[in-house]
Amino acid sequence: MFQYALRRLLISIPVIALATFIIFGAVTITGDPLQELRQAPNITQEQIDQIRESRGLDQPFYVQYWRWVTDIPTEGFGDYLISPRPIWPDLQRVMGNTLQLVIAAEVLAFVVAIALGTISAKRQYSVFDYATTTISFFGYSMPSFWFALILQLIVVQIFFATGVRIFPIANLSSADPGTGLAFVLDRMHHLVLPVISLAIFSIASYSRYMRASMLEVINSDYVRTARAKGLREGKITTRHAMRNALIPTITVAALSFGTLMSGAIVIETVFGLDGMGRYFILQLGRRDPYPIMAWLTVVAVIIVIFNLIADLVYGYLDPRIRYD
Amino acid sequence: MNGDYNAATASGRSPLPPGEPVLEVRDLHVEFRTRRGTLRAVNGVSWSLEPGETLAILGESGSGKSVSAQAIMGLIDSPPGFITEGEIRFRGEDLFALSEDRRRRIRGDGVAMVFQDALTALNPVFSVGWQIAETYRVHRGTSKREAYAKAAELLDRVGIPSAHERLNSYPHEFSGGMRQRAMIAMALALDPEVLIADEPTTALDVTVQAQIMDLLTELRSELGMGLVLITHDLAVVAENADRVAVMYAGRIVEEGTVSEVFTEPAHPYTLGLMHSIPPLHRRVAALDPIPGTPPNPARIPPGCPFHPRCAFARQHCREVEPPLERVGEGRASACHYWEEVKGGE
Ligand SMILES: Nc1ncnc2c1ncn2[C@@H]1O[C@H](COP(=O)(O)OP(=O)(O)OP(=O)(O)O)[C@@H](O)[C@H]1O
Ligand code: SF4
Ligand SMILES: [Mg+2]
Repeated sequence: MFQYALRRLLISIPVIALATFIIFGAVTITGDPLQELRQAPNITQEQIDQIRESRGLDQPFYVQYWRWVTDIPTEGFGDYLISPRPIWPDLQRVMGNTLQLVIAAEVLAFVVAIALGTISAKRQYSVFDYATTTISFFGYSMPSFWFALILQLIVVQIFFATGVRIFPIANLSSADPGTGLAFVLDRMHHLVLPVISLAIFSIASYSRYMRASMLEVINSDYVRTARAKGLREGKITTRHAMRNALIPTITVAALSFGTLMSGAIVIETVFGLDGMGRYFILQLGRRDPYPIMAWLTVVAVIIVIFNLIADLVYGYLDPRIRYD
Repeated sequence: MNGDYNAATASGRSPLPPGEPVLEVRDLHVEFRTRRGTLRAVNGVSWSLEPGETLAILGESGSGKSVSAQAIMGLIDSPPGFITEGEIRFRGEDLFALSEDRRRRIRGDGVAMVFQDALTALNPVFSVGWQIAETYRVHRGTSKREAYAKAAELLDRVGIPSAHERLNSYPHEFSGGMRQRAMIAMALALDPEVLIADEPTTALDVTVQAQIMDLLTELRSELGMGLVLITHDLAVVAENADRVAVMYAGRIVEEGTVSEVFTEPAHPYTLGLMHSIPPLHRRVAALDPIPGTPPNPARIPPGCPFHPRCAFARQHCREVEPPLERVGEGRASACHYWEEVKGGE
């Protein structure tokens, strides 16, 4: 298992390296990074030349790339082009917020989907099964912002009717969130609606996979063997069947992580959250390529890390993978 | 956690009264209700097993051997499978009358089963030792350590070299023969009174087949358990069984001691099977020497189900189904004209 983990970890390094290369290449060839700056009214050609030189923009492409990429570990992602502020603290803040949202949604989706998928499979063609199939179909086909708006609408209606604010419909924290546990609770309260809106699509999708693989597994020979051994039905499901059925479901969840990230950007916009989505759109408007490259790199790293985690879980669940 | 069945078995089972069969199947009917109609897989099967005896169930593919074994173990998924008639008695107790919990306790403990393909029958994600130990822990409630020690002992007993080190191996790391040995070890964990082996060697190489059969026979006599050996291999029957029940279209068509049935068959189907053995008792992989094919379980012919393929058939056979009748000491045949079959050869 340790060897397997090490191997997976080593494979991620060239993946990230390649990602940075593509990001840098794609952003540089899309135009002159200083274009926006040139059009600024009160900036002199000298200043532009100075920035050009300090950023190494007069150097060949590969020198620029190398300089950019090797500076990441020591300098974060450097400063913004216009203001001499570092990019990393901002990025770190929005990344933290987005990860809270995305991880909470992923965990919620996974747990709910496994339960729904398992019960649906165990009671195939029951009312429960048909109901979850129908609801999943909705969850799958409706865009998440639509759910987010519906949830907001419901909460607002309840507020009008009863005067109670059950959940906040915007922001990540209250005006005065407090500290420690109070802060955490306040944050969780704010995240309830965004997390649910974001998780619905994943619940629908993962639960379908879980149901399908569970159906396959409960008809397998080894489940029959478990029954012949005199195990309790519950144990057979949770131990012998589920462990096998989880393997394909985890793969799907890992592969969908990128989708979840893009969903988060939409949800952040709907709920006005200070996350990576809002940050990205803000920086796009400013035409500053450096925060954009930083953002893309961070997203690539996050996705690689989550795939790595999925690989490890996968290896833990399936010994056949672990050893070859 | 331990119920009374456990308490009784853990302290050694009470002896059966002499002459009492340990397992008895009476008039068992199983059907599968599918979209394509009702498949009558088992149509009135009866047999009994004396303690320590080996009963072979012989029949072509689709004759209902596995389904009847699964009915005994309570492994038939319902729907689509339904046990519509009959009873199964283990040590005189009607299994269908027991609560689900008591039946579950008998599974693996009183009656255990070995399946055809050990690769798919073992769970790929758990170690072999863990799977064997699990049986022991669930029924006996012993500690993990004790159960693992027992598992090592069992693996050693079924002839797996350096058993202790192999406990943590996974099924895919075992060879086919070793997997089947592990499967047998798992079935023997609780020292069952009856072992049902459903084609335990068909998935294996010919050389390994003989080793596994030898192991099974050896363990049977050593542990004094009854063995129900399901097979379509006449040689396996001849070499290992005391008695044989021949199945056709979900029925027993002939029953008797192996030597009698083999030398003097009393049913045209059995006679056909015997003619299919090449001279010098060479092993045959599968038997389909009789002209025609077994009936589709959704459309079993009226009268004697064998009549479309039977050289002895006449009008009476097409109209009246022959019951399984006693045709001698410990022998039975389901043929109207068994005397003719037995006499004329
Ligand atoms: N789950 C099921 N659903 C529908 N039909 C089934 C099911 N299980 C068995 N059958 C049918 O029951 C009949 C008897 O099957 P069974 O498995 O008992 O045959 P068998 O004698 O064991 O044959 P084989 O030598 O191929 O193992 C077959 O026609 C099969 O199609
Ligand atoms: S009853 Fe008739 S058809 Fe059936 S086996 Fe006997 S002779 Fe053949
Ligand atoms: Mg079979």
